[in-house]
Amino acid sequence: MSIRIENMSKVYKLGATSVEALKEVSVTVQDNEYLAIMGPSGSGKSTMMNIIGCLDTPTSGAYFLGDHDVSKMNDDQLAEIRNQKIGFVFQTFNLLPRADVFHNVELPMVYSGMSSARRKKMAEVAIEKVGLTDRMKHRPSELSGGQRQRVAIARALVNNPSIILADEPTGNLDSSTGAEIMVIFDQLNRSGNTIILVTHESDIAMHARRVIKLKDGMIESDTPNKEGIAA
Amino acid sequence: MRSLHQWFESFKIAAGAIKANKARGILTTLGIIIGIVAVVTTMTAANGLQNRFTESISTIGSDVLYVSRTPWVFTGRFFQFRNRKNLTMKESEKLERYLKQAKAVNPNTFTNRNVKYRSQVLENVNIIGTTEKHTMVSVAAPQYGRFIVHNDVQYKKFNCVIGWEIKDHLFKDIDPLNKKIKIGRNFYRVVGVMEKQGSAGFFGGPNFDRQIFIPITTLMKAYGSFNRPFNIVVKAPSQEAMTDFEYAVIGEMRKIRRLKPTEENDFSINKMDTLMNAYNNVMGVVVLIGLLITGISLFVGGIGVMNIMFVSVTERTREIGIRKAIGAKKSTILTQFLFESSSICLLGGLVGLILSFGVTQIINLLVMPASISIPIVFTAIVISILVGVISGIIPAYRAARLNPIEALRYE
Repeated sequence: MSIRIENMSKVYKLGATSVEALKEVSVTVQDNEYLAIMGPSGSGKSTMMNIIGCLDTPTSGAYFLGDHDVSKMNDDQLAEIRNQKIGFVFQTFNLLPRADVFHNVELPMVYSGMSSARRKKMAEVAIEKVGLTDRMKHRPSELSGGQRQRVAIARALVNNPSIILADEPTGNLDSSTGAEIMVIFDQLNRSGNTIILVTHESDIAMHARRVIKLKDGMIESDTPNKEGIAA
Repeated sequence: MRSLHQWFESFKIAAGAIKANKARGILTTLGIIIGIVAVVTTMTAANGLQNRFTESISTIGSDVLYVSRTPWVFTGRFFQFRNRKNLTMKESEKLERYLKQAKAVNPNTFTNRNVKYRSQVLENVNIIGTTEKHTMVSVAAPQYGRFIVHNDVQYKKFNCVIGWEIKDHLFKDIDPLNKKIKIGRNFYRVVGVMEKQGSAGFFGGPNFDRQIFIPITTLMKAYGSFNRPFNIVVKAPSQEAMTDFEYAVIGEMRKIRRLKPTEENDFSINKMDTLMNAYNNVMGVVVLIGLLITGISLFVGGIGVMNIMFVSVTERTREIGIRKAIGAKKSTILTQFLFESSSICLLGGLVGLILSFGVTQIINLLVMPASISIPIVFTAIVISILVGVISGIIPAYRAARLNPIEALRYE
């Protein structure tokens, strides 16, 4: 499912002043792309990620996710799109602390209303993909940072989303664990998933096949990356 | 299907949240427990009072009418009733003659006198003058000995039948039969003891165990008949015929009193219903006030739950953010927190019910017969869930409305 963003702007009102976080941005992302969005803080990459992730809607412009015009959706429709089409991986993992690995991975399917037998099967498959089958009953607090991020990845891909959206996925990990996590993303992309990385580390961005650099809410450069792993 | 899964999920979350904060959960629940115990006990007590009252007037019989000078229950118009003519023995005899369908017509009157046996004295005992037909209009019968007979009435004998409490107080272990007791200034021979009614002076109501029956003729002779309250008790042929029977009685009484069609009745018809209604009116108000007051404790408990739910929502802002990011809708989050608050309250309600069973047992032993009925259990459960939903709705709504981006950023 492709992403089509046309002349998208986002304005935040802070009291009397307003801040334009994104200015007339246009991007198209095809199926099975491996894209990195880079930029310094304040460049608008978080805003971009929130809108692509359907957590927020643009002030003006259009955002098509496949056939869905996301820019016109209400909160509940956005929630459903997030549930079905988007898988999030966050810098701070964002797992439910009181739930075990299995339940964390199962949760998106609970919200999509799947039967518990099917949930169990699919969650087990996803957990196996990230190699945590023996940690199924552990809580996040009993896992290392790398393992937590792998749980988050399993949760992100369990509903077979169109896009996996990773926001600084290695930001809280040491470099060797970070490299392990990036290997998982590379594999997922090779097996057909669309992946969008949001990062400010260039060596992480180098895993992607295409790099978009943002600056002051505008696209500074949009270049294919020949050295990307899948290229 | 979808919502069922989510309800189950909500239930699990609620259980987890309560388990995670045991001390807090217990303290919050305590407020609800106290509230439910208070409300349930009030309802139980009201039920107990009702049973007790019904029991205490059951001897009157529901197929019996009382023709009296004044109604038992009235407001205002006192002087109008006061100026009515009293009923008389003659009128009673006439009514018996004319009212062929009546199962029994029995005149009675009463007075209060001190009663004495040797050195034992009972003050202000209700002395009832009646005839042998009393046993036909009342369910009460002598435990041993006999009741007043026709002979006693005809010849104005100084014989009496005493109530259970009188026997207990005056005679203790002695056999009372054929002993002489002094009622006022006269001596009477005890010919019978009434069986125990078991409604010992219910809230100023009649105590049927603290009565003495003597022949009505004797009472009139010994204590005077002037302006003495006088009832004619008539028993209907059947419960169903009560309404028609009442009109028949009124008709005959009007004939006896020779009232013109334009004149109002100068007598009153009383029945158990009148008493029941009056009682229900009074009790209704008392119970309502009781429930209002105990309801306040439940209200305070509910405020406690609301408070904790606000804390819970704030504490779990990030969790809400995560859930929303992976696809929880507003309604899902709303249900989750409503489930949590109603679970706390339901738990409190159930514990409160169990405690109420204990309290009821104590009331049962010490005060009066009381029991927790199925409707009360049902009401208590519904009320506790309702309190949970009401006190959870504002915090839950706040949680549901959280912006996922800000919630995810919340530290």
